Amino acid sequence: MNMMWIVLSAAGVMSVAALATAWAQSKIGSAGAAALAEKPELAGTIIVLVAIPETMVILGFIVAVLILLRAGGGA
Amino acid sequence: MIIPMARVRVLGPRDRFDDALQAVQDFGQLQLAEARSRAGVQSAHLDPRAERRRAQLMRALDETDEALRALAVAGTGPAQRNATVQDFARWARLANHTAREARALRSRETALDEERALVTRYRDFLSAVLPAVRRVADTPRLTSHAVVVPESGRATVDTLAKALRDQLGAEFSMTTRELAGGDLAILLVLPREFSAKLDARLAEARVPEVPLPAAYRDMPLEQAVPRMLARLVDIPAEVEACRAERREMARARGPELRAARAAIEDWLAAASAHEHTAVTPHAFAIEGWLPERSVPGLTRRISAAVGPTVVVETVAREDWGAQDAPVVLSNPRLFRPFEAVIGLLPLPRYGTIDPTPFVAVFFPLMFGMMLGDAGYGVLLAGLALLVHARARPGSLLQTAARIAGPCAAFTIIFGVLYGEYFGDLGLRLFGLHPIIFDRERAVFAALAAAVGLGVVHVVLGLVLGAITSYRKEPKHALGSGVSALMVLLVVAALLAAFEVLPSRLFTPAVVVLLIAFPVLVFAEGLIAPVELLATLGNVLSYARIMAIGTASVMLAVVANQMAGAVGSTVVGLVFALLFHLVNFAIGVFSPAIHAFRLHYVEFFGKFYSPGGQPYTPFGHRFAPPAPETSRTSS
Repeated sequence: MNMMWIVLSAAGVMSVAALATAWAQSKIGSAGAAALAEKPELAGTIIVLVAIPETMVILGFIVAVLILLRAGGGA
Repeated sequence: MIIPMARVRVLGPRDRFDDALQAVQDFGQLQLAEARSRAGVQSAHLDPRAERRRAQLMRALDETDEALRALAVAGTGPAQRNATVQDFARWARLANHTAREARALRSRETALDEERALVTRYRDFLSAVLPAVRRVADTPRLTSHAVVVPESGRATVDTLAKALRDQLGAEFSMTTRELAGGDLAILLVLPREFSAKLDARLAEARVPEVPLPAAYRDMPLEQAVPRMLARLVDIPAEVEACRAERREMARARGPELRAARAAIEDWLAAASAHEHTAVTPHAFAIEGWLPERSVPGLTRRISAAVGPTVVVETVAREDWGAQDAPVVLSNPRLFRPFEAVIGLLPLPRYGTIDPTPFVAVFFPLMFGMMLGDAGYGVLLAGLALLVHARARPGSLLQTAARIAGPCAAFTIIFGVLYGEYFGDLGLRLFGLHPIIFDRERAVFAALAAAVGLGVVHVVLGLVLGAITSYRKEPKHALGSGVSALMVLLVVAALLAAFEVLPSRLFTPAVVVLLIAFPVLVFAEGLIAPVELLATLGNVLSYARIMAIGTASVMLAVVANQMAGAVGSTVVGLVFALLFHLVNFAIGVFSPAIHAFRLHYVEFFGKFYSPGGQPYTPFGHRFAPPAPETSRTSS
């Protein structure tokens, strides 16, 4: 039972972080694509802007791994 | 690095102005600066005759561009030196009639393509109805009409058929056939006397009609159909004839047009240089920027070409601002491809730091830490070599291949350190163990290594920020330095708290932090604590190196497990290979994007000052316009 909650918690963290990142990237990506069509020289800035929300899913992944390893008794 | 620039002034008597300008253009390294307006000094405007010639040459340039595009002529050609007025007139005529002829040929090709597309659209229908059309032609009372109805108007056809059948009875017949794309082709057979009313009937029934090609519209169908089918055989040869004519024109006139373009561009560049030059009734002054190391070369060139009456003097550094100087990046050959990474952002300001050398070290390092698999590294190296060999010299693809080389080297190094050879294949087949840690299991060690690299990178960024701003903004420089120190102290305190470092270091680290805090607030203001927290967040952001690396190794391990998981060994191997291929593709793309991001956001944010002016020296221009890409271009 405990293990189930641990796994569910890790999955929950990962899912919420991934959904949040996806939502943010969809907004930034569509606006970025529109901006790129008019100003291709903004490519660098737009890559950065699109990549910024990925921090959320990466931190989510790390928290999920920590939950699994710490609470689940891993290494 | 950003190479040191010098601002120079070329001074001389007015009657040597043209020769001096020519010498500067031949030297090709001076970026002209605006002429300074002072009493008695004005810009060297062109005389009315030269202005007229400029207008004519601009038109000629447009026509040359059009002709080169239409003839799909690419490449570069040297400009003819000392072109005369007669040369320019000949080139203008050549460009004019070549552009006209090329335009006519392209229009003809386009018309033929459209005709072919239209007839092709009708072909199946026409072939099918040709016997019926011929039969109708033998019956004097009847006539036939072909109508094509778009897909959206198909519903109206039944209404039309019903109305015509009611009115004409047995003398009316209709054959339909669906064309590619969903349109409906209809052959209507009806009494000849009713033919004139057909258009009205079509309009009444609201049948949207796609017209027959204009050339056949007024022709009886029994004549039009065979002619249209015959055209399908003739058109390709006619298109090829047009293309051959264009190719021949490009071969015969292309080189001269390219040379003409270069010469016209040269003349126009020299003409616009006049506006940058200050003159008095007796003297002239050309001012501009060039790399400091090129000043002696310019002096020698001017002296040799114009004589000792024209001199080159260097403007004192105090008399010009860094914001006006153009920026030229100059890096060792190994680092140069990484200038492309900087190229995605605006140039750094003159007098600041060129981050290329740091990117050249940290970008492949981070990439290697993330991908970290000797097998994938070898694959990437092979791919980079292949692309480098195939890509056009100087192209973006070749630059990418040059960046991929060091990335592959670091990937192999980290792969050996992590003991990863296509995931755990090295361990399974050859017993190759990790040298530092196993990323599959030692997640905390990987996390510590990633964040450790983050500390080094962010602190380096802060130190570079302090160096950049210490002259003009000493307080900001102090703030950057104190931030760097505080990041290190926070890390030291945390490590001491978790007894990674001796725990006795904890108290001194905290005490120094408490002392540094007011200094930071003094230097950067009340926003400083928030910025410090953001900087610590930046450090944590490097955890992505571990996250992406772990994901990559897990996928590789899963790929290896596939080989034994499926019943058939061969199918399992195919699956494993495919999975490795997908993982490799993700493994190349994702670390590259994240290494970019870590540089752009976390690292550059600490010191990078964008806003540099690009260096555009006044010289001879050779590059013709890119050829038009067109379906019909050969």
